[in-house]
Amino acid sequence: MLEVRGLVAGYGGGEVLHGIDLFVNEGEGVIVLGPNGHGKTTLLRAITGLLPPRAGQVLLDGKDITHWKAEAIAAAGVIHIPQGDLLFAEMTVTENLLMGAYHGPTWSERNARLGRVYELFPWLKERGGQLARTLSGGERRMLALGRGLMSKARLLLIDEPSLGLAPIITQQIYASIHKVKQGGMSLLIADENANHVAGLADRVYLLETGSLVREGPADELLRDKALLESYLG
Amino acid sequence: MSAQAAVTAGVIRPKLDEAAAPWRRVSLYTVGAVALLLLVLPWVLLRLDIGTYLMTLLILFFVQAVVAQSWNLIMGYGGIYSFAQVALFAVGGWTSGVLVHSLGWNPFIAILFSPIVAVIAALGIGLPTLRLRGVYVVLLTLAFHELARVFAVTGPRFISGGGYGLVTVQTFQFGNAIGDQRTIYLYYLAGLIFAVATFVIWRVIHSPLGVAMTALRDSETYAVSRGINQFRVRMVLFTISAFFTGLAGGYSTHYNGGISTTIFDFPRIIDLLAMIVIGGWGTFGGPILGAGLVIGIDQYLVALGDYQTLLLGLVLATIAVFAPQGLWPLIRRMYETYLAPEPLAPPVEVSPAAPHDTKDEL
Amino acid sequence: MSTQLVQAVWGGILFGSVYGLMALGLTLVWGAVRLLNLAHGAIFVVGSYVAYFFVSRLNLPILVALPIGVLAAAAFAYLMHLTFIRPVIGKPGFDNSTLIATVGISIAVSAAAILIFNPEYKVIPPVITGNFTVSDVQITKQGLLVIGTSLALFGLVYLFLTYTRQGMAIRAVSQQQEAASLMSIPVVRTYGMVIAISGALAGLAGVLLSPFFFLNPNSGFNPMIQALIVTIFGGLGSVRGALVAGFVLGIFESFVEVYYGVAWAQPGVFLLIILMLILRPNGLFGIGEVRRL
Repeated sequence: MLEVRGLVAGYGGGEVLHGIDLFVNEGEGVIVLGPNGHGKTTLLRAITGLLPPRAGQVLLDGKDITHWKAEAIAAAGVIHIPQGDLLFAEMTVTENLLMGAYHGPTWSERNARLGRVYELFPWLKERGGQLARTLSGGERRMLALGRGLMSKARLLLIDEPSLGLAPIITQQIYASIHKVKQGGMSLLIADENANHVAGLADRVYLLETGSLVREGPADELLRDKALLESYLG
Repeated sequence: MSAQAAVTAGVIRPKLDEAAAPWRRVSLYTVGAVALLLLVLPWVLLRLDIGTYLMTLLILFFVQAVVAQSWNLIMGYGGIYSFAQVALFAVGGWTSGVLVHSLGWNPFIAILFSPIVAVIAALGIGLPTLRLRGVYVVLLTLAFHELARVFAVTGPRFISGGGYGLVTVQTFQFGNAIGDQRTIYLYYLAGLIFAVATFVIWRVIHSPLGVAMTALRDSETYAVSRGINQFRVRMVLFTISAFFTGLAGGYSTHYNGGISTTIFDFPRIIDLLAMIVIGGWGTFGGPILGAGLVIGIDQYLVALGDYQTLLLGLVLATIAVFAPQGLWPLIRRMYETYLAPEPLAPPVEVSPAAPHDTKDEL
Repeated sequence: MSTQLVQAVWGGILFGSVYGLMALGLTLVWGAVRLLNLAHGAIFVVGSYVAYFFVSRLNLPILVALPIGVLAAAAFAYLMHLTFIRPVIGKPGFDNSTLIATVGISIAVSAAAILIFNPEYKVIPPVITGNFTVSDVQITKQGLLVIGTSLALFGLVYLFLTYTRQGMAIRAVSQQQEAASLMSIPVVRTYGMVIAISGALAGLAGVLLSPFFFLNPNSGFNPMIQALIVTIFGGLGSVRGALVAGFVLGIFESFVEVYYGVAWAQPGVFLLIILMLILRPNGLFGIGEVRRL
């Protein structure tokens, strides 16, 4: 469903991504593995229109969405759960969730969607009136995930789900992502830890200094400890 | 550094070099020629029928260019959105005006106190204001302007002159010189103030202080994290700016023989702003160019009355949005092509999607 | 109660409600767009003159001219957004460009008002006439209407921002613009909406206020400065702050005016705000907007 061809992107005078080719099939879980600072975040930002690419193409169901605005790409069902969560700090938990359903067709079903997100993260319901800025790190991550799921997402792009979280919370997060995937969602996850994503991944790309250096089925690549060691250290 | 390396460095001349050794970009011949021209100009002009009128315009230009440059130093370079410039000009004007009018001092002595009092006033505005950011500075400096206006209009009689300002202040006297002879002296005095202000401001822009202020303007977070004390840099700039503005104010009082409370009217601020914006916001020569243009064009458009104001407003808005550097880049390119002693280093390319809060270049 | 006291309280509440109304527009725009709209006073003037035109030249009743004036102000604000704000959104130098552009627009508007009408003071009739006296102070019904409208609009804006999809989107854009666009909220269109709403508020303030001050090409300037003070006093971007600060400053100014004379009203307010910024730089309800160095 998503295809990226020869994507080049960067900030200021520097180029971060030097021609990325990747694809995600319907219902597939694709992981981009790479160490910090090698362009994972930049890749996701370039795909979802937060950072206009310098060259290359992004195709969604064969349609060229490379130069669409971020809001149009989101409306098309490609939902980016960004690094740092970027919650609406002065809005309540419920309001944050509702904003996830901003897109017109989704808005009319917002209550049904709230129900589904509450099923995944029950505590969101109890804490609905709390301001987002008062949440803990793990709660924020879950709220960011829940907010993304309020939309009519077909493909979820998640930037380092475990960044900065305690191990026990990390487990919870990946468990809930797993549930989402079982519901048929396509996933593109950027991560730096091969162990976390083992259950989620169908296919894996290895990203190094802005280029994809390896691609393969997850059970093959993730089992190759020597290879992972050499890339992720 | 080895000789080889020195040669290479000289050839490549990284961007910072220009800031460290600004004189390399200045042709002494050009500066000398301009200075000579300005020195000789009155003797030529006064042979013309409208010579006296042109001399008046030039004096006006010198004064306004000093104020515009000082304002641009803090607003364009320093990123301090201060609207207190006219008020500081007035502080300078009133200071020497009162000293001469009420205490009977000699204007040449009194004018020395104009910049000093203006600097004191600037410290008074700056200390509470300059720690705050953009929008607060706009408001507080407008507030200072308004307070100064109210004080000038309703204050004690030796200041307010009954609401009109100081109307009969003794002018500069140069021995027994009268008529054109006196105009020439006035011209040289204004030119001297202009030259000193321009040189100092040019030097400040290219000093380490100038580098610090440009860094703060272009990427505040980064600059502060590198240990630049933003408050102190702003304070120093504000003080320098106030110094020359006050001096210009003092000159203006003894040139016009008084200072009127109408100086606080909004159009005065707009005129100065127009000089900076049209000439080139945050560029060295912009305000000088702008002062010349605005004063020159004013003479033709003044008959248009309110159409002129309408036009000025739209031009300001359009330039600010679509050509934020005004006309200066054009002139500068011509200078670099024909007059600069050394060829221009290749410009560093900066993409508009820089990751931090960069602002205008130059 | 003494006449002076009633005078001061009545004037304070009346001006406070108007400052609040103007400040509400400024604070919304600042919150969402991070734009210091120095053309807010000009928009006030546009609304007033359009209403004046329909009343005096076309002899329409003020109740018809009022909504026309409000719509014209909103349209003007939106046009300003399209021509001078939108082109620099997201560009470096946004602050510089918009600051100067809005100053340029305000002088252009006052010049245009002089050219189309003339610099003389104009009178817009009040929406309702009549008054009654309380301890020798005339309380106009128009004044009561202004106070009521202002309070009602604060209520409406609050409800709009809290409960509607568009209103929540405005808050979302104010707080986290990038995330908002990832939620498919059209950021630039939301900016336009906020600017138009703010314009409508300024226009309404203009039409309702002109019976008190008369209308002239620069009559928007003072209300704008007052609104700016109120906005900062209440905390930039805070709706609640604009309401409370509007009344606090209105009453303060009114008391200074009644007891110390008109000349001291403005300086008094300025001294108060300077004191405020030294003691509490984020304003009454600000949320850490100012960075102390």
